[in-house]
Order: sequence, then C-alpha cells, then structure tokens
Amino acid sequence: MSEQRMDADTAETVAGVVRLLRRAAELVWAAVDADGAGSPRQVLGLGIDLAADEARNLLPDAIPVDGPVPVGDETAGLLRSAEQLLRRVTTPGAGAGLLGLREQVADLVWEANTGAGA
Amino acid sequence: MPAPNWRTVGELLADSDELARETLLDATPDHAPAMVRSWNQLVRSAAELWAVLPSAPYGPSELDPMERLRPVGDAIGRSVTAGHWPGQGPTDERLIQIADNLSRARHMVEPHSRPAQQASPEKQHDIQDLHGHVMHTVYVAAHGTAVALGAHVTDLQHRLAAGERRRQPLAERPTALEITAAQDMIARFDGFEQLAGAYLFGLPPTSTNPDQVIEAAPATRLETALAAWEVQAHRTLANNPDPADLVRVARVQALITSTTSVLTEAAARKGHIDNDIMQRLAPVLEASQVAWSRAAKRWGELTNPTSRTDPALVGAAREVRAAIAAAATNPTGWATPDQLASRLDLPKTVKTLHLSMVASIEIAYVVRDTAADHPGLTAPARIIGMRSQGEAEIAIEQGETRYEGVTWTTPPQVAANQLIPLPEPARRGLINLADDVIATTNHAVAAAAQLDPSDSVQRTKPPAEPAAGRPRAIHGSISRFEPPGGPRR
Repeated sequence: MSEQRMDADTAETVAGVVRLLRRAAELVWAAVDADGAGSPRQVLGLGIDLAADEARNLLPDAIPVDGPVPVGDETAGLLRSAEQLLRRVTTPGAGAGLLGLREQVADLVWEANTGAGA
Repeated sequence: MPAPNWRTVGELLADSDELARETLLDATPDHAPAMVRSWNQLVRSAAELWAVLPSAPYGPSELDPMERLRPVGDAIGRSVTAGHWPGQGPTDERLIQIADNLSRARHMVEPHSRPAQQASPEKQHDIQDLHGHVMHTVYVAAHGTAVALGAHVTDLQHRLAAGERRRQPLAERPTALEITAAQDMIARFDGFEQLAGAYLFGLPPTSTNPDQVIEAAPATRLETALAAWEVQAHRTLANNPDPADLVRVARVQALITSTTSVLTEAAARKGHIDNDIMQRLAPVLEASQVAWSRAAKRWGELTNPTSRTDPALVGAAREVRAAIAAAATNPTGWATPDQLASRLDLPKTVKTLHLSMVASIEIAYVVRDTAADHPGLTAPARIIGMRSQGEAEIAIEQGETRYEGVTWTTPPQVAANQLIPLPEPARRGLINLADDVIATTNHAVAAAAQLDPSDSVQRTKPPAEPAAGRPRAIHGSISRFEPPGGPRR
C-alpha cells in the first residue's frame, strides 16, 4: 500500500511500471518453461515478479492497474522502459519506496543483460 | 485429573516429557485421531512457554525455532477445524495434559522472565536445558503421534481388506480416502518431528541430550532466509491469501527446489554424496520443482490486475532470492561445483536445503487446504470458465456425473471477464496440483533419506535404514542424536 500520498501523474506512471514488469515477467517465465526443470532464469523471473509486487503495493486501491499490454517481447527492453519511467518520478523528495524500486529495477536490467536471463 | 499446583517448572517439564514418551509406548491405532485433534493445543502451549523463557542461542538459522513450528501446528489445527480428517471428536488426554503442564509452567515462569544476557553462565546452561526440555517433549510427542498414525493406517488397511473379503456393507468399511488422509497426516507429523529434531541436533549437551555433538558453523544468509521464508509463507497463507500470494509461494518453492538440486549435485561431484544416491535424487527433485512451477502457473490464472501480494511475503521472498543469487549463481547462470565449494560449506548447506524440503511439504498441504477451503477465491471468468470445463471433462471421464451438462460461466460474465467465485472443478484442479507437489516432494524426501553429506566419504559405520514408509531427510543427524528413552521406531 502507498507509504505516502502519491499524485495522479506519479500513480499513473507507477501503474505503467507495474504493467511493464508483469509483461517482462511473463516473458521470462515462458523462457523458464522452455528451458525445462532447473532453469537459472527462475532467479530473474522471481526478481521481476517481486519488483512488480512492490510497485503494485505502492499504489492506492483507487488507481487502476489494468491497461494495454505493453508492446515488446524483449525482457531487457521492457525492464529498461520501466526503469526510465521510474527515473521520471524519482525526483528529490520521492518516497523511499519509489527510490528502492528504481534501484531494484536497475539491478534487474543489469541481470537481464548480463546474467542467465540474457 | 489435573496434577496439583505445587509442582516446580522442572517437575512439570519432566512430567510432560514422561507423558510424551508414554504416547510412544502406547501408540495404538485408536489414539491417532484424538492425538491429531489435540496437536495444535500442545504446540500452542509449548510456543507460549517458549516465548516467556529467557532467550537462548538458537540453531544455525538464528531464527527462533518455535517460530518455525507454531505455524505448522496452527495449519494442522485449521485443517481439522475445517472438517478435514480426522474432523471433530474427542481429544487425547495425554497430549492435553502435556499442554496443561506447559501452560502452568508458563504462568510460573512469566513473572520472572528476563533476558538471558543478564544470567550467569550456569544460569545460561539451565535456560538452554529448559528450551531443550520443551523441544524434546514436542519432538517425542510428534514422533508418538506419527507412530500412532502409522498403526492407524495399518489398521484401516486391514479393516478395508477384511471388509471387502467379507462383503461388508460399504458404510461399515473404512474408505480409501480416509486411509490417504491419515497417510498425509503422517507426512505432516514427520515433517514436524524433523524440524523439531533439527533444533535439538544443534544444541550443546544438556540433560535431555547428553550425547549430542555440537555442530559448529556460523549462521549463513541462506539458512536464515529459508527459515524466515517458511514462517512467513505460513503466516501469509493463514490470513485469507490472495491468489498472487499463492503464485509467489509456489515460485519461491520451485526456485528453492532447483537450488537444492544444484547444490546437491555439486556436493556429489565433490565427493560428499554417493553417486547412486544422487542418481535417485536428481529426477525426483526435478519432478518436485516442475510440480511447484505448474501450481504457480495455475494459481496465476486466478490473479487479476488488481491483485496484491502480501508485502511481508514479498520481503521474505526477496531475501530468499538474494541469498540464492549470492550463494549459487554466477553471471551466466548457476555457479559451477568448484565455485559453490569455495563459497559454501556444501555438506552443511545441502542439509539445510533438505530440511527446507521437509518443511515445504507442510506448506504444500496448506496450499491444498487453501484451494479446498478458501471461501473468497475468485477468478476472471474467461480463463476460469475454460479451465473449469477442462477439469470437469477430466472428472467426467473418471466417473464424476455431477458435472455433466453444467456450464460454469454466463455469457455476460465472459463478455465482461468478471471476477467470479471459483467453480468446483477449478478448485479440484488446484487440489490435484497440490497433491502432485506433495507426492513428488515426499518422493524427494524419501530419496534423500540415506543422504548424509557430512560423512558419506569417511563413514565409519553403515547407515541405518529409514523406517519403512517413513521418509527421513536428515537421517544422519537423527542417527547421532539418541536421547535416553527418546524416539525409537
């Protein structure tokens, strides 16, 4: 749940981040299924799921999260888009939740580019 | 008849331990259902006493071990209250007497409770002794209940076979379902016993376990994260979980199982585990991981854009993921056996992961109970309509007639993709998937029964065989801990 009052623009941006992260997670889990049992990509998939959970939990109930499914079938690209959106709203004074989320997503971009998720 | 109040805390604990041992001496089939019904009360009393005892050093995970056990007791209690086997009925006098003793001890200790740090070394030893007594009582009582359940299952099987031979009316015979439910309960008590045992194995010698060897090793991040995860998973699942919570639980369990597989294989490559054990273990660990992943996907169908995951569960999952990433991965995927051996005490970490696998069986039972009983489960109409129809067709093929001709959604519900209460066949599908997790994980625990990575190379005595039909995940540790008059099968 939101730790502090969030303005409408920020909320809408975070809702977009949720959608991007959920789509990125879908792609990774599809790759995990294709890999078969024991895929190391599970680590990345779970990381994206958890970032999406945290983004969702920052939003008040009144903010709709559903919307168009983000275009793109490249995990790292979707994560980069999410990170760029978060960069817009993590201005000085942004809550710790948003700052922590941006840091997490930046780490996931790195993992998706360099790790087993690449 | 309650005992008089003049007994000391020590006497109450000694009496409790004695009663627990009596359950073993007298583990008859008839006692088992009542013992299961009484279990939660006993665990609660033990946990409440534990909470007022001055804190003592815990096991390798540095997490209060009773924190790990209480949710398991609560889950068994909820299952019985919800009407699952053995359902409502009489309780067991001895277990209730133990619960009463422990509650009395708590009332006596509570006013004098203070941090252990203020106590002298001698007093510290006494404190540890008290913790050991409480845990030993719980451990032996769990064992006694599991033994009684084993006898109960044998009795039911015998009566079922005899009933079939004598063509008794169906109503007078036990059902196969009843037998399966009792067997499931054995697995739950086995898990409980092993978790309690894991604490006792890590204790320095006390009057309850004088022969215990101290296991030296600092707590690791992975151990702590796994123990905290189990507790949080139970807490979240006990509190009206969202399907998103179930997805996260299943995904984390799948990752833990994959990690177990990777580390166990590394331990085998490094000569800590016999190759033939590894050959049996690898496919069943894989099956368990696949079963958890399937469960995650199916629960994912119940989520909707507004779903939220419990923030505390997210935090615990994040720590498990970070600990696994740090311990078992490199920039290209899973770490190599050489890398793992240089980072970790492989035998010890493998033991921790196998203990976590034992605990995961209980989590799977709670997932199954959630699928069966959670009244608030809803799902988007389109996908769940299709899923329900698919499950219904499977059930119809197996002889279920109630689903014939039933439609699970209305056109307006589908058009708007409304959230609708979960239709029965969809619940049935989730229960079947949880059953797969339970079965495959039980197989993995059984395959790991002879696994003791700490001494497989320099073994000086042949490993004892696990008791028939009673899986053991930490066999080696159990064989080292033989409390006087303690559990014997």
